Amino acid sequence: MNNHNTIIYVVDDDISVCRALSLLLKSHGFNVEAFARATDFLKFKHPKVPSCLLLDISLPDINGLVLQQKMIQQGIGIPIIFITGHGDVPKSVKAIKAGAIDFLPKPFTGKKLLDAIALAVEESKAINKKQAETARIWKNIKTLSPRELEVFRLVVSGMLSKQIAFKRGTALQTIKVHRGRVMQKMQAKTVTELIHFAQKAGIVSP
Amino acid sequence: MKKIKEITAKQKKTHRTPDERPVSLSAAKLLQDRPLKRATRSNLEEQVRQQTDELRIKKGQLRQGVDREKLAEEQIHLRTKAMEATLDGVFIIDASGLRYPIIYANPSFYRLTGLSKNEVIGQNYFLLYGTEVESRITEEIKQTLLRGESFHGELLKFRKSGKNYWCSLRIAPVRDANGDTTHYVGIKTDITLMKQRDVKIAEQREELLHVTRVGKLAEFVSSLAHEISQPLTAILSYAQAAQRMLGDREPQLQEILQYIISDDQRAAEVIRRLRSLLKKTKPTFEPLDINVLINDTVALIMTHITVRNKVIKFQLDSTLPLIQGDRIQLQQVILNLISNSLEAMDVSKDSRELSIRTSCQDTNTILVEVKDSGCGIPQENMSKLFVHFFTNKPDGLGMGLSISRSIVEAHGGLLGAKNNPDCGATFYFTLPLNKKNDQ
Repeated sequence: MNNHNTIIYVVDDDISVCRALSLLLKSHGFNVEAFARATDFLKFKHPKVPSCLLLDISLPDINGLVLQQKMIQQGIGIPIIFITGHGDVPKSVKAIKAGAIDFLPKPFTGKKLLDAIALAVEESKAINKKQAETARIWKNIKTLSPRELEVFRLVVSGMLSKQIAFKRGTALQTIKVHRGRVMQKMQAKTVTELIHFAQKAGIVSP
Repeated sequence: MKKIKEITAKQKKTHRTPDERPVSLSAAKLLQDRPLKRATRSNLEEQVRQQTDELRIKKGQLRQGVDREKLAEEQIHLRTKAMEATLDGVFIIDASGLRYPIIYANPSFYRLTGLSKNEVIGQNYFLLYGTEVESRITEEIKQTLLRGESFHGELLKFRKSGKNYWCSLRIAPVRDANGDTTHYVGIKTDITLMKQRDVKIAEQREELLHVTRVGKLAEFVSSLAHEISQPLTAILSYAQAAQRMLGDREPQLQEILQYIISDDQRAAEVIRRLRSLLKKTKPTFEPLDINVLINDTVALIMTHITVRNKVIKFQLDSTLPLIQGDRIQLQQVILNLISNSLEAMDVSKDSRELSIRTSCQDTNTILVEVKDSGCGIPQENMSKLFVHFFTNKPDGLGMGLSISRSIVEAHGGLLGAKNNPDCGATFYFTLPLNKKNDQ
């Protein structure tokens, strides 16, 4: 298994747990970043590589579940594996519902941990891919002129060129020219593809 | 009496007409009998007038005497009536001899004891009760009375029908002018209902304390399990990391590491079993009126509060909607906050007042505040208040507030604390009105 370009973040206030998990994960070839406090993890600049977070539920500064919510708000798309010393069922249900990969009660064996990490890393790759695509779409959107952007919005909202021309009081031919340029700049082959891009960028809801 | 009445009637006649005429009339009558000088006549008139006045005073005095007698009679009548009407059993014992006969008992007495008049009047009081209560108590009553003191006690007694009832008994000596005891007057009141209520409250308190104790133990084990699982996690990971680093080398060390790993897992298993043994009972949610719940809970520790000479003030918003909650668990929280406040106020005798307030924080949340006038919370302890094992009481476990917090959180609310601007601290918790299903 090639884990060299994968980062595993560990957030646990117990220094010994942090150190032991780091050693174990490093022995499996992962890059490891360990933090005792949730805020330190949030401040860290997370590189865009496959990654995963081992998160203790009870932390001194921010509770693990709250950190999970903050990460969702801030768009930090790193899959989470919760680790906890409490056999707390309601909290685990809540965490999984909010998108956590797994919930491991302490102490857990290396095998269980690695299985969960494998799942999380797959998820992370998918997230990163999606994020990269969204970034590419936005990069394209930013090349559109204001008039092209307007045509783009109207096309993806389902309007025909004729309707757009009527609405804007412009010649149909002009709209067709704008539309052609939008397709070209957005690198879309069909209108369907263009709508997909718009959805991924969050311009129209799917 | 008759004679005086006649005279007064006569005097009345004399004085019926205006001033001068009756005098001249009687004077004329006298003149007919015997000739008299003008001076003598006026003297006589004066005498008559004096006698008339005296008679009038005497008559007034007599009427007063009659009225007084009548009044006294009425009073006695009223008192007798009242004694017959009262719901407490009243009886009088003759203390002159050694027989202590009961010479009077009111209807309530017969009703309470179930005895008939024949069975009571003339009977020796102490013998009558010898069959009903323990002779030890009878002897105690007797000794108290012989010392000239009054007796007061609460006794479990039996009616003639065999049905038992709780009775509050007071007997006091009645003394004559010399201070000698001539009689004893006794009052017995049926306090069965009060006693039953006390017993019910005691039972409820016991149940709540039991649940609290179990809860504390469960929380204790859970915290202990958490504390131990941390190093166990570290040991397991260290050993597994070492195993991996060794690879195929050092087979003996590999074996040792494997032993460490399996023993670590054995310890983890012990914790898991202990935890499942003391698994918290799932809260049962039912619609509850928080104000009723607070009143019920306070009733459980009212004696405790009174003994400590503290006062509870209520500011309960009667318009609050019902909440969904577990009765016993929420009572635990309320009880915990009140006892903490009471303990905080034990430090000073001046701080006596504890107030409990309920209100609507917003349309979806109700707020319960327990405010004391005690010593407040030192700033450095603020952040540690709800942590397991944290306590500033010499005999505290440091479980109460952390349990309370987990209960409130399980109800979808928040538990917090703040110091008051003047003195003391306020603990508060919120409860949502529409409980979410994801709890």
